[in-house]
Amino acid sequence: MPELKITVNGVAHRLEIEEGRVTLADVLRDRLDLTGTKVGCGVGRCGACTVILNGEPATSCTVLAGKADGAEVLTVEGVAEQGRLHPVQEAFVESGAVQCGFCTPGLVMRIHHLLSANPDPGEKEVTAALAKHLCRCTGYEAILEAVKIAREKMKKSG
Amino acid sequence: MTLKYVGKPVERVDARQKVTGSAIFVADIKLPRMLHAKVLRAGVPHARILSIDTAAAEKSPGVVKVVTGKGCKTLFGTCLWDQPPMAVDKVRHAGEAVAAVLARTPLQAQEALKLIKVEFEPLPFVLDPIEAARPDAVLIHERNGEYRRAEYSVLPKKGTNIFHHYKLRKGDVAAGFQEAEVTAEGEFEFPLSSHAAIEPHGAIVRFNLDGTIEAWASNQGPFVLRDVLADMFGVPTSRIRVRIPYLGGGFGTKSDVCIEPLVAYLASFVPGQAVRLILTRKEVFTGSFLGRGMKGRMKIGAKKDGTFTALEATLYFSDGAYGDTGWPIDTVAGHNCTGPFEFPHCRTDSYGVYTNHPPVGAYRGYGHPEGQLMVSRLIDMLARKLEITPFELMKKNFLREGRKNSLGQTITAAHGNLDQCLEAVREAVFSAPIPAPDDEYYYGRGVAAMMKSPKMAAHSSSVCHLTVSADGCFFLNLGGVEMGQGCKTVFAQMAAEVLRIPMEKVRIGIEIDTDHSPWDWMTVASMQTYRAGRAIVQACERAIEGLKANAAEVFGCEPDEVEYDGEGCRRKNDPEKKLSTGSLARGYIYPNGLTVGVPVDTSGSYRIQGVTDPDPESGTGNAAGSWTFGCQAAEVRIEKKTGKIEVLHFASAFDPGKVVNPQTCRGQVIGGVVQGMGATLMEKIEFRPDGNIKNANFGPYRIPTVEDIPRKQTVTFIETPNPEGPWNAKPVAEHPIVVVAPTILNAIRDAVGVEFYRLPVRPDDILNALAGEKKNA
Ligand code: FES
Ligand code: FES
Repeated sequence: MPELKITVNGVAHRLEIEEGRVTLADVLRDRLDLTGTKVGCGVGRCGACTVILNGEPATSCTVLAGKADGAEVLTVEGVAEQGRLHPVQEAFVESGAVQCGFCTPGLVMRIHHLLSANPDPGEKEVTAALAKHLCRCTGYEAILEAVKIAREKMKKSG
Repeated sequence: MTLKYVGKPVERVDARQKVTGSAIFVADIKLPRMLHAKVLRAGVPHARILSIDTAAAEKSPGVVKVVTGKGCKTLFGTCLWDQPPMAVDKVRHAGEAVAAVLARTPLQAQEALKLIKVEFEPLPFVLDPIEAARPDAVLIHERNGEYRRAEYSVLPKKGTNIFHHYKLRKGDVAAGFQEAEVTAEGEFEFPLSSHAAIEPHGAIVRFNLDGTIEAWASNQGPFVLRDVLADMFGVPTSRIRVRIPYLGGGFGTKSDVCIEPLVAYLASFVPGQAVRLILTRKEVFTGSFLGRGMKGRMKIGAKKDGTFTALEATLYFSDGAYGDTGWPIDTVAGHNCTGPFEFPHCRTDSYGVYTNHPPVGAYRGYGHPEGQLMVSRLIDMLARKLEITPFELMKKNFLREGRKNSLGQTITAAHGNLDQCLEAVREAVFSAPIPAPDDEYYYGRGVAAMMKSPKMAAHSSSVCHLTVSADGCFFLNLGGVEMGQGCKTVFAQMAAEVLRIPMEKVRIGIEIDTDHSPWDWMTVASMQTYRAGRAIVQACERAIEGLKANAAEVFGCEPDEVEYDGEGCRRKNDPEKKLSTGSLARGYIYPNGLTVGVPVDTSGSYRIQGVTDPDPESGTGNAAGSWTFGCQAAEVRIEKKTGKIEVLHFASAFDPGKVVNPQTCRGQVIGGVVQGMGATLMEKIEFRPDGNIKNANFGPYRIPTVEDIPRKQTVTFIETPNPEGPWNAKPVAEHPIVVVAPTILNAIRDAVGVEFYRLPVRPDDILNALAGEKKNA
């Protein structure tokens, strides 16, 4: 059985994984019980499974576990600090960007990365980032609003 | 009295769980000794099964059991029992399950699937409902007409593929057209589409050794599911327990019984072990439900002054391989295809037709988008013929107080104010002058009006259980499923309002458990706020009575001498005598332990009043319990070079009686409009020549992203008091999707002068139409 070393949300793991097509999403959800990462399509098209892999957003359903060997991963479970919601999460709550919530963890990770990399992204940059995600419930209006609220919150908290 | 919580944009009760990833969906559930199922799907749309060889698969590593449909005698259903849980001797669509592997891991199950060999004898197949309805078409169900069914409502034609024929006969349609001085008619198509809820369907079922069956499922109708499983396995309902965790979007695709019978059938082979099946996205396309799929024609007539005289329509629904989920859609489309207008004479025929693709089930709007696409487009055409504005024409014929709808029901003022809705969208989109075409773009505007009435079981009800805790908090338990629409938040708001307590003191159960949640018909048809709201009010009022009765015992007076104020109970005219809610919750306990009164534990219930299924002969009757009206308008611009259609402004106005939560209510409208734009401009299920779905995944099947939304959306709510609803509220959730397509198509017509009858309209269609026009000119 192949072995995988991976650090998730700051915790190091060493795991034996099954032969065959095991993805990073499978490892997170099935082996580490981090079920906050959702799988909506399994083919890299909906963004629900987005995590931060070595500092960049990635669809964990298309990353083979072997390719994540030695990686550092941040998932939605690792975003809140000391039991307090991250400003991006707060912004989602306030703006009404959450309906069924299945797309939410992936979007939280995407926007977390977007605003960490650039505190003041332009409209085009925001659209380009969000266009990698499908949400069937909200029509995106409230998600765009969440980005605005999160940006202000993150600026304030420096 | 001013309202504190109802009508306010309070925070959703489920938001924090969802943003932190701690909300549990069905795919997140793990049970001890759980097996994973993978399903072998036919791959051929219509064939007899000659043999299935599972020997090699059985020996594959990790495999516990391989199951086929051989010998399965069960057919399941709710009103039409025509479907086996797994194909028995023939397959009727390419995604139908023919075998399944149960293994220790999903990968092991997947590997073993490859080793199963199936021999088919292919049969001719049909994917078009009009072809399938012909008398000489290949028969998909030889036993059509013989299956067990709800005989009053499901009306099959033996010896054909028509498993349901709803007909509406109101007035004398020939006379109506005789009276008409102008008519408009057309042939329309609303293609098959995918609901595309982002959470794929999933279910876990375990046959326990004590004879009980437990299921966890992504399903909007836990109690119907329980009944269906009980019926399938011939066990009492009390032996079946269904649990519903969070649902990642429904839109109807999870309202009908879907993969659960299959998973239960598989689980019946391995008693004691739970079996789990989570569909892949591809399987959501091939092995769950599709939506829509209508081909129809309609003709309407009016007098010179614009008064409508008659409507005639024929609708063919391509309902797929099984009919239990399609027939009610066909019925409601048949009587509500009139839109919110009075036609004195109507004749419609709506056919539910078996075809060789996955079954069609409920999809947001439930037959209304299909039917009202036709009438809304024809009204636009008729207005031009009459040389009046569509606004004038619609106003003249709107359903309003005293008028009769197609079912023969009389409309009252409380049903809603279409004039105000129309004015709101006119003002929003049509008040500024339209830009003249420039070098790059054409511009156009369109408008349409809608109505929707819930299609529901006549016994459709909701129940609310309520308990009070010793710290003064109230616990509510209802059977309504939270699937994103925000019903649990609205429930909590309503309870807080009646109980006069802060939201934090209301706790509301999210997971549904048929052993512990009170019965609720189903979470469909946008009915929860309306129906459950009444049950909540009653349960809360009874709880207040209970607290007062306990206080009265302590005060030594009659309950009507006691007042409840949100914090507790006081004796009227004696401010000294005051007891907190918490101290009365379990009866009042004196310091020495002596207790008076009883724990406060109440329930409330509400049933929709006086609804019946339509009369099988005339198609009329009291089949709708409520209506919601609305209007939409759009401004589009079309790029001349590419044909690209952009929605610059989309305005919606609905009359939901009372908006209980403006934030979630707006969310329903914005989301519904964008979903409707997907159907209008992008989405369509396409088939390969071999009968398999060609675009069975996200990517090939494109749904709107943030790049496809309107530049601007305006949402207006008109609040016409509807005394039947809690705080006057009535349904609004599916409604925003109903006439998005004709609104945009009318705008496209305005921009480029081309009438479109089929969805979707893509840039190529625009370019082809424009090129064709040039050629014809
Ligand atoms: S689940 Fe990974 S992108 Fe859809
Ligand atoms: S909130 Fe349901 S998919 Fe985005």
